[in-house]
Amino acid sequence: MSERLPEDELTYYTGDACISCTSCMSNCPVMEATQDYDGPKLVAPAHGRMHFSEEDIERSLELCSNCKTCDRSCPNGVSVSTLNLLQKGVYYRTHKHPMRDLMISRPEPLAKLITGLPMGASLANMGIKVANSLGMLSMMGLAGKRTMPAYTNKTFLSRMKSIKQPKSDKKIVFYVGCSINYNTPEIGEAFVKVMNHNGYEVLVDPAFVCCGSPLIVTGYLDAARKNVDTNVDRLLYWKQEGIPVVSCCTSCSYALRKEYEELYGEKQMKEAGSNVYDAFEFLEMLDAKGQLKTDFKEESIRFMYHQPCHLKSAGIGTPAAQVLKHVPGVAVELADAGCCGICGNYGYRKERYDVSMKVGEQLFKRILLSQPDSVICDCPTCRQQIEHGTHKEAIHPIMVLARNYKYE
Amino acid sequence: MIRSDVLVIGAGLAGLMAAYTSAKQGKKVTLLTWGEGTLTVNSGTIDILGFDENHKRVNNPLQGIDNLPADHPYKKIGRQALQEGLASFLELTKQHELTYIGSMEANQPVVTAIGTKKRTAYAPLPMVLSEQALTKKKIRAVAIKGLKDFYGDVMIENLKKSFGPDKDYGVIPIDTGLMGGRDITIQDVARYLDTPQGNADFLSQLEDLDQDTLLVLPPIFGSHGHTVYQTISQEMKATMVETTCLPPSVPGIRLRYAFRDELRQLGVDIVESSKAVASEIEGTKAVSVIANSASNQRRYYADRFILATGGFYSGGIEMRDFEKPIEPIFHLPISFVKGEDQWTNEELFGSKAQGYAKTGIETNDLLQPVNKEGQVVLDNVYIVGRNLAGFDFCFEHSGNGIAIASAYKAASVGMGKEA
Ligand SMILES: Cc1cc2nc3c(=O)[nH]c(=O)nc-3n(C[C@H](O)[C@H](O)[C@H](O)COP(=O)(O)OP(=O)(O)OC[C@H]3O[C@@H](n4cnc5c(N)ncnc54)[C@H](O)[C@@H]3O)c2cc1C
Ligand code: SF4
Ligand code: SF4
Repeated sequence: MSERLPEDELTYYTGDACISCTSCMSNCPVMEATQDYDGPKLVAPAHGRMHFSEEDIERSLELCSNCKTCDRSCPNGVSVSTLNLLQKGVYYRTHKHPMRDLMISRPEPLAKLITGLPMGASLANMGIKVANSLGMLSMMGLAGKRTMPAYTNKTFLSRMKSIKQPKSDKKIVFYVGCSINYNTPEIGEAFVKVMNHNGYEVLVDPAFVCCGSPLIVTGYLDAARKNVDTNVDRLLYWKQEGIPVVSCCTSCSYALRKEYEELYGEKQMKEAGSNVYDAFEFLEMLDAKGQLKTDFKEESIRFMYHQPCHLKSAGIGTPAAQVLKHVPGVAVELADAGCCGICGNYGYRKERYDVSMKVGEQLFKRILLSQPDSVICDCPTCRQQIEHGTHKEAIHPIMVLARNYKYE
Repeated sequence: MIRSDVLVIGAGLAGLMAAYTSAKQGKKVTLLTWGEGTLTVNSGTIDILGFDENHKRVNNPLQGIDNLPADHPYKKIGRQALQEGLASFLELTKQHELTYIGSMEANQPVVTAIGTKKRTAYAPLPMVLSEQALTKKKIRAVAIKGLKDFYGDVMIENLKKSFGPDKDYGVIPIDTGLMGGRDITIQDVARYLDTPQGNADFLSQLEDLDQDTLLVLPPIFGSHGHTVYQTISQEMKATMVETTCLPPSVPGIRLRYAFRDELRQLGVDIVESSKAVASEIEGTKAVSVIANSASNQRRYYADRFILATGGFYSGGIEMRDFEKPIEPIFHLPISFVKGEDQWTNEELFGSKAQGYAKTGIETNDLLQPVNKEGQVVLDNVYIVGRNLAGFDFCFEHSGNGIAIASAYKAASVGMGKEA
């Protein structure tokens, strides 16, 4: 049933297009942070294609953060970062993971367990704090210097049940994702408010599962396959219904729209990906058609916007910065200071903490120098890293729209 | 931005300069780029014209241009746009701590990555061989331990030829503390010298050199701007000169930072990972350009479109079938040399330009694309940089000059400030 993409579109073969121009090398933020990493060109198109055998692994492969800066730099369409992920997947088929990998790669089952128990979230949040102060997180191979994301007492999906929405012919499906459902449901609520105000009814589909990105970047390519197939099925179903699927998390959406196809090379994944939009991408498209509501209150505030790497890779520019131009009094300055360094669960690994913070240094400096009132960013892990590195509040840009619309 | 005043396609020097010039006039500008742009491989000197049609050396580029054939891009761009464009480029670079030195009326020598000399019109300050530098008796190539792509001995052999036999030559090894990991790149060393520690380390190894020494080094003095070079120069008795280098090219990367910072400040929306693939046309006007995002296609509307996709070398012109080159976005007419025998020239660096390299889009003097009859095909589309027909940048050493001047002109035409 599953049909392969044509050969020239398969990630493995994009490596053949490498002309060794070194553009990826001069832009890789991990290379900039440490001399230990051999760099994208050498690890992916050069070494990667030679060594797809099971025993061999490029010695510095684990240092790649999957920020995808290399892919964006490449003038020839080489999927450098995905070649790295594929190598990692092959390696871990026959090699043992460190223990903590189990935890950092499976946020969904863990969160389900915790938020499903009465008082589970409060206890877990307390537990994480205690565990951290006892040095247990560090013992488990996690970066003890970080605060772990806190769980909510009431998930977004359960809150959604009590949100009264106006019925409308214009509908979108909201791909909620783990972070919003279990950690920051207020972002989901804000999104529903904004969409309702623009005349859209928001559907949720409980059959969607975690996008699988945490599994993928930790090297569990086979385990992720279940998530991929489930989500692709649902995306195709909604595509058939003519209803777009919209996400507020730029790493979820990148996985859904592109990473699946790049990693597993099947036609239906590409098809499914074409039905995925980011929240602000969707709003910017409405704006271009003159259909975006712009009845905003004035808010005098200065934001710095950090464009997440995976949003850059989506090839849609900076839709949040464009849409926010409509809110009177709101000034948005682009940080344009490279990768924040967290890269999903990369920066949560104990042995990557230093590199992760080194990569983020330029962004932190830029923010601290400009002293905005607040930082805005569409990616939950970027926001964590920014708050950790600058002690400045970082919020999702949808919050700004939601709080400034003039509702009746 | 989905709707802008000006849409620029391509982030090589021509595209960046076009976006800058447009944004400075207060226009809303969107820049689409597939790949990070080519400045990371660009050697960073601004060549205007190094050789004429017969491969005779040009000493005065401005005069040399007068003698070019009528269909050469410079003839269409004109002197005024060249001069104004260059002035604008120099202003931008200066604001970002890059000093370019030179003249449009005299080419100057710079040292290449292997120690030979090449000539250019404007060179970044650290590459400039001042009068006084040329009088130094001792020439020393600095070999950085563990650095790939810079070979002291080869350098010295060539320097002897470049600077003459009556000087004293030698190699000075220095250590950077970067060893132990991967092979060191020039960019690694430049970043190391960005740090106070790297700076001090470097100085402590070379401060003993006397005034009569000229140090020849790869471009390691900082990854942004020329301040690291200037500070270290003040502390040293010896004179230092940077060479060009193989990619990743630090002088090009410094330029890239300057443009990126400037474009951000001017509010240019840069859309990365965006490949323009088609366009929507009504009569003689382009309405929108269609570009691939990661999973969809997006339409970008604008009043003016500037095509800076880099010609043959960068995918701006493709040739899937021999003698059928196409420009994939607007399907503009392409002018090229016909006949296999004319197409290439066996001598790679010979005295005749490569036929294929002159392939490009024919334009009028306003840089709008024209057909064989000379009629404008699309009147709100402008062609810049290596997309232009009629020159071989490699043969005549004119790449960055044409990129800057054509971009400046395309972005200024009809904007009140006619060039
Ligand atoms: C290694 C090297 C070193 C050089 N050094 C010098 C030098 O020191 N001095 C000098 O004067 N000249 C130099 N040149 C020549 C000079 O680089 C070029 O002639 C000039 O800068 C060309 O600029 P451009 O912007 O027209 O094209 P390019 O630099 O080729 O840029 C075109 C850009 O468009 C992008 N693009 C293409 N198609 C699409 C699409 N469909 N959608 C979106 N984006 C697209 C490409 O990815 C690329 O980034 C050098 C050239 C090379 C190859
Ligand atoms: S994904 Fe990021 S860290 Fe990995 S090679 Fe590419 S640029 Fe470097
Ligand atoms: S940027 Fe692309 S073509 Fe250039 S070296 Fe990297 S992978 Fe190869």
